Amino acid sequence: MNLYRQSIALFGIVLPVLVCALLIGLCFTLKSRTLASLENKQTLFKSYETSRLKALEIETKITLQRPHITHWTELLAEESSSAVNTHLRTIAETLPSKEFQKTAFERSSGKGGFGSAVTQPSSQLRIVFRGTFRTMQLAFLELESRMPQLQLQELRIDPNPNQQNPSPLLNFQVNYTAWEN
Amino acid sequence: MLHHSTRAANPAWYQAALELDLQLHIRVDGPSVASFFFERRKEQWTKGPAITEAELRDAAKMETCVAEILKQARVFKASALGVIIHLADEFATAELKPALDNPAALPDLREAAVQKPATILDDSSIPPDQNSWRVLPYPAQGSGVIGTTVTLTRKYAPFLTALRQIGEANNFPVITHALSAPLVAVMGLAQCAPFAPGKSAVAILQYPWFSALAFFNEHADLLLIRTLQHRHLRQAPNLRHALTTTYASLELIDPDLFIMSLGLDLDTGLHRELGHAFPLSRVTLVAVPNPDGVPAWCPEPGIAATSPAKGEAARSLTLGMLRDEKWALQDFLPTPKEIGEVYPTRAEMRLLRGLRLARFGLCVVGVLVLAWFAFGVVDIVRSDAWTFDPGQANIIKGRLNNLTTERQKSQHWDNLLEDRSKAWTSMELLSRLFPERCGVLVKSFAHTLRADTAPGQAKIGFVKEWKITGLARDEALDRLNTLNTQEGITSQFQELARVTGNPAFNPAVRTRSLAVNIRTQENNMFKPLPVDETFDTDESSYPFNFDLTITQRFEGTDPMAINVSKVN
Repeated sequence: MNLYRQSIALFGIVLPVLVCALLIGLCFTLKSRTLASLENKQTLFKSYETSRLKALEIETKITLQRPHITHWTELLAEESSSAVNTHLRTIAETLPSKEFQKTAFERSSGKGGFGSAVTQPSSQLRIVFRGTFRTMQLAFLELESRMPQLQLQELRIDPNPNQQNPSPLLNFQVNYTAWEN
Repeated sequence: MLHHSTRAANPAWYQAALELDLQLHIRVDGPSVASFFFERRKEQWTKGPAITEAELRDAAKMETCVAEILKQARVFKASALGVIIHLADEFATAELKPALDNPAALPDLREAAVQKPATILDDSSIPPDQNSWRVLPYPAQGSGVIGTTVTLTRKYAPFLTALRQIGEANNFPVITHALSAPLVAVMGLAQCAPFAPGKSAVAILQYPWFSALAFFNEHADLLLIRTLQHRHLRQAPNLRHALTTTYASLELIDPDLFIMSLGLDLDTGLHRELGHAFPLSRVTLVAVPNPDGVPAWCPEPGIAATSPAKGEAARSLTLGMLRDEKWALQDFLPTPKEIGEVYPTRAEMRLLRGLRLARFGLCVVGVLVLAWFAFGVVDIVRSDAWTFDPGQANIIKGRLNNLTTERQKSQHWDNLLEDRSKAWTSMELLSRLFPERCGVLVKSFAHTLRADTAPGQAKIGFVKEWKITGLARDEALDRLNTLNTQEGITSQFQELARVTGNPAFNPAVRTRSLAVNIRTQENNMFKPLPVDETFDTDESSYPFNFDLTITQRFEGTDPMAINVSKVN
């Protein structure tokens, strides 16, 4: 008796349950894989969005600075000492020659001043002038405006030491640290 | 099986014929065949189809008979038909093996009589394929044996098989049951025999071809049952002799005699003859009260199909057992085991039907899971992130890196190129500290700048120092004194920051400090002269000389602090 019970149970419920379980398992596996893939993509997407917004923000700021950077890059492309001399010659042309005289120029590639404290390459420039106060001030204003990479390390202003022959010309000695690229 | 058979939906397939609502009772007693339909719910008997002995036994005629039975059964619109055949044309007994004389073994003997009759029969010469045996117990005390077996031939088995087969073919349950009519009649004595307390009795069941004798003790319990063949006469020729000898063997003294006339055209003088032969015995003609539609000479259908009122069957142990334990209702021609096992059992059909619902549930679950999966996938696929090309993340990351590097470079150079130290602003400081004709002659001016060397810092501060020496007249002393105060020098730096636009002179930044020191001494070279005789460059016209030192300190956290590291 009950000869068919095993077959009925097998084909009636066990196999359908197995098929259903297989289907459910398959669906869960595929869903979980899809979700994992989605999570991965979401992470990348979020990272992309964050990076994109950050890039936009940086780009907005940089866009304003870019002309300056271009200008600085051009300035720094030339060696400082030759650039200083070039600019001084240009400046001298606009000033009275008697009130602006370059008497000495020295360049040292060794580190000094700010250059000794930072890793950015720099050179030391020592320039001696003779001139009137206002003319020299104008000359410095012009030079330092044209070459913002010049950082003043030392400025000495002394009158002509000859008391017997007083002169309106003063002696100027400047030491600059010039940032190099 | 579920689709092509009504076995799952119709419980009649698994019920006994006597339990079905529509029953066809066929009584075969040799000379005649009687049939009656019985509607169990209405307890109504109607005449059945006319059936002949030949139709029951001749395979050629059987088919039409069976078809007619089914046709008439359909008229009742019943869902199943129980066919009960009462075999009143033969009755024989066969003795059990004496070794099996154990009352406790009766259930096993009953089973063995069906499955393996040869193991329990004393006479093993009777062929089991042509006969059927059923055990009948003798519950009475004093009986020599525990029971006997009733033997019937299988001559009507093909007819019952044909009925079952046509039922299968028509998907209409036809359940068969073959009863021994004398056993049913003995069971019916409970309803009609006037057993006297303390008096033994003999029931003489008079059939056309034989007479069955059932002997009861004084408690109405069965002692013995035997049969006497009529041998083409109207009664058993040796009835009186058989009664006398059995009385002697069972030690019965003048038992009551109950005569049941169970056929048409039987000898009606038996009652009178026995009254003369056994004058000390009470001879009674008994008749079972028959329902309408069933003649009095065939009470077996009524006895088998209906249950007596409570208490009637309990007149004795035997009469109660015959009905309650169905000893008298045993099926002599059941469905062969090998055929019955072809079909699933009722439990299996219930299981099959139940599992169909379970499968439906599984299908629903499967569909729901698929829908959940499909909707989930659609939802995922529709999201922005799904269509996103992962390569874009690397591209934008690279772009961000480039921009960050560019910004760092920009910030680095912005920091390096800060206007933290300019010659022209220092000269402007000098000219604002001591304007023309303020009573001061400046002799020297020195401005130095040195960086703080603090190792391990990202930014370093620096110190700016101005040293001015010179000569001063009386009118300049107030100015010098003012400059020598924190407020005085601070206001000068503030003003200078404003007019030059150079933030390095801004003293308001908290990360900067400003200190000033002026030392004033008398000029040893001073020669007092009238004012109109003095000129500005004459050092002897200045009564004082002074020494001014201004120190401005920038901390490493100052906005103008210098980046230590280099950016590539």
